[in-house]
Amino acid sequence: MERAAVCVKDLVVSYGSLIAVDHLSFEVKTGEVYGLLGPNGAGKSSTIKVLVGVLEPRSGSVTVFDTPLAEEVTVKSQIGYVPEEVALLDALTPREFLEFTSSIRRLDRDTANSRLGKLVSAFELTPHFDTPIAALSMGNKQKVAIIAALLHEPPLLVLDEPLIGLDARSSRILKELVVYQARKGGAVIFSTHIMEIAEKLCTRVGIINKGKIVGEGTVDDLRRLVRKAEGSLEDVFLKVTEQEAGIDEVIKGLEEG
Amino acid sequence: MRFSELWRISGVVYKEIAFQSIFSLRSGGLLPSKTGTDVRKLIGNAQSSTILSKILMSFSIVMFAFMTLSSTTFRETGMISLSLSIVGNVSVFLAILLFLLVIMGLQVTTSFFASDVITSLNALPLASRDVSFISLLCFARIFDLPLLVAIISFPLAYLLFTGSVAGGLVVLLGICVTEVFALALTTALAKFFYSRIAGAAGGSAWKTLMRMALMLVWVIPIFGVYIVMNFWREIAYFFMSLTQTTLSASYAVLMIYPFSYGYLASQVTVTEGVDFVSQFIAAASGAGYFVLALGALTWTERAIRNVGSVGAISSGRSVVRDTRISPQGRLAGVIRKDLRVASRSPSYASFLLLPAFQTAILAFSFSAFSNVGFGETLGILMGMSSITILLPPMLFSIEGLSSAYARSLPLTKRTLILAKAMLAAVTYIISLVVLLACTLYLQKSIFFILAYGGIHFFSVTAAAMIESLLLVTMFWKSGFAIGNIYTRLTTYIVILIPGAIVAFAPVLGAILLAVFVSNLDFVLLWFATAALLEFAVAAFLVGRSEGSKLDR
Repeated sequence: MERAAVCVKDLVVSYGSLIAVDHLSFEVKTGEVYGLLGPNGAGKSSTIKVLVGVLEPRSGSVTVFDTPLAEEVTVKSQIGYVPEEVALLDALTPREFLEFTSSIRRLDRDTANSRLGKLVSAFELTPHFDTPIAALSMGNKQKVAIIAALLHEPPLLVLDEPLIGLDARSSRILKELVVYQARKGGAVIFSTHIMEIAEKLCTRVGIINKGKIVGEGTVDDLRRLVRKAEGSLEDVFLKVTEQEAGIDEVIKGLEEG
Repeated sequence: MRFSELWRISGVVYKEIAFQSIFSLRSGGLLPSKTGTDVRKLIGNAQSSTILSKILMSFSIVMFAFMTLSSTTFRETGMISLSLSIVGNVSVFLAILLFLLVIMGLQVTTSFFASDVITSLNALPLASRDVSFISLLCFARIFDLPLLVAIISFPLAYLLFTGSVAGGLVVLLGICVTEVFALALTTALAKFFYSRIAGAAGGSAWKTLMRMALMLVWVIPIFGVYIVMNFWREIAYFFMSLTQTTLSASYAVLMIYPFSYGYLASQVTVTEGVDFVSQFIAAASGAGYFVLALGALTWTERAIRNVGSVGAISSGRSVVRDTRISPQGRLAGVIRKDLRVASRSPSYASFLLLPAFQTAILAFSFSAFSNVGFGETLGILMGMSSITILLPPMLFSIEGLSSAYARSLPLTKRTLILAKAMLAAVTYIISLVVLLACTLYLQKSIFFILAYGGIHFFSVTAAAMIESLLLVTMFWKSGFAIGNIYTRLTTYIVILIPGAIVAFAPVLGAILLAVFVSNLDFVLLWFATAALLEFAVAAFLVGRSEGSKLDR
């Protein structure tokens, strides 16, 4: 049976006088892959950071599986998070970093190792397992963050631009894992700029612009909303975020040099 | 490209490297607040902190220049001759200058090697010759003011105190050689750090221990400057006495840097009692060190010019036997992570190693006393705890290294407080063990150290808990960005003063009681009661901080 995995109500996030998220509300149910889309600086990452407990909101309420964010440990134990900026502990090796995160998550050694073996092999991280994270490529750092997010089999995955830097194979595996996560009754919040991926992967999408949800639903719902039944999600996105106007002129201007 | 343009670009690169050095490699990107004003403020703070550090270093150089040479003029004339005094004081100053320059430049130079800033210049339409020259100019900017101040101040002070132009010129040569040695040593240590420590693979406890041991090489200048600045008079007298022993010992000393230059300066300043053999040995050694300095300069230049073209961080990839991990409890997980990070970071490692090292040095002052009693013990305990209470802010700054990620983990305030306080407490215990070992070696009584040192453990732990509690209360919501902890003086005042009060109050109380009440049993009773009371209050406050049923 479906239940609310995440419930965000009237969320406000500000940095000084700048309002990054402005009375935002949405809900994600179990079995859903919810795509969070929006132009740069729209407030996607700020919303995600509040969900995972990295950022304090100014106001509003957030619950994860009916538990308010104030119960930090309970909420954070149910989330696997891949941040947009992969800033891990660079001095550590992936082995040491995963030992740290699995210690904090109090994972049983055998269970952790059985799952870790599969993940490390799937993402082909074995040769880099004892290399300091500082010396890894961006894609391999991303893989470490993904493995850390999946290792404890959380019911909620929060992925902020997780495909950046990943090779085709790892990208494919992650996408399959995202679908599997929803199929087995978990939930996924997936932020991306790549419309094609959102279109294929997400059950529903929420488009944020200037800190507010400006469109929400399945891709078909959104097409109906902007009366572009034939258009791609990219067309819909540009329309609802009011970014469509002037693109042709800009391109023409650039081509003319 | 014109020199002025290259100099301007090197200034931009230097600012970025200094910023990265202060915010410990890329953690500037993790600052909690995104508003332009806050980031600009932090960048401004980093810049002023860099300038302030250079000014303070230059001030220290001038101060030591005048302090060491003033003791030449105001020496006890019956005890030491003028020439011996010059040998000792010039040599000590050169040693101080060497260590000061290395310690000042090491942090930024390691960031210089780690940073990709120079490498990123290769993507711009600049000739590779210009990029390597920018690299060199940028390195020069790390040291510019202190190098200039040393070259001017010490020969000037020498001229003022001795009136010898020729002596001043010899001293100038000694300073130039010392500065080149300092630049080469800084470069070598920074390169060593990245090839053997930062890039070292493997995560076993043994390898962590080995990295800590290797880190000792990196922190030698820190200890060196500590020893020379605290014991410069003793060192000067020690070498003066060496030159007065046998002739062969005297010749051997003259061959050692920096005494060759000290002796040469004294010989051209004080012309009485000329010893041609000694002069020849000192002059030949001085010339030898000059040639060595030229070689060191060429090597340094090549190493610095190559920063942009050769990756400085060794990937350190090793054969991976398996991918098994050993998760532990939350508390152990945080402590193990802190130790692993510290074992790869010289600045963190030096904080953990300094208390034990300082204790060992202070303990050897016991040799001057017939016995180690109440006063000596409390004095050394004050010294030990004053260094230990600096640990919690440093340990919390480790949390700032990846605060944007670590905050998403199910950690509680209590776990974090206990982990940091336990590490500080263990550091104190190690210092205490070192103190006991040194005292036993010197064949002195260990009763007072065992009794007062053991009880003082509770005060030091309470101080660490209070500091950690304050840090968590201040930064839990905004995140432990390093910028918060290191660029705000108020943080230090708010954190360290309560910590110092908790650590020192029982000691000061015991000293006052001992003055007014002669019964030392009563003093010990007060000391134990105060320490246990502090510990109980701190434990109660930490216990009240937010935890969770899941938190163990």
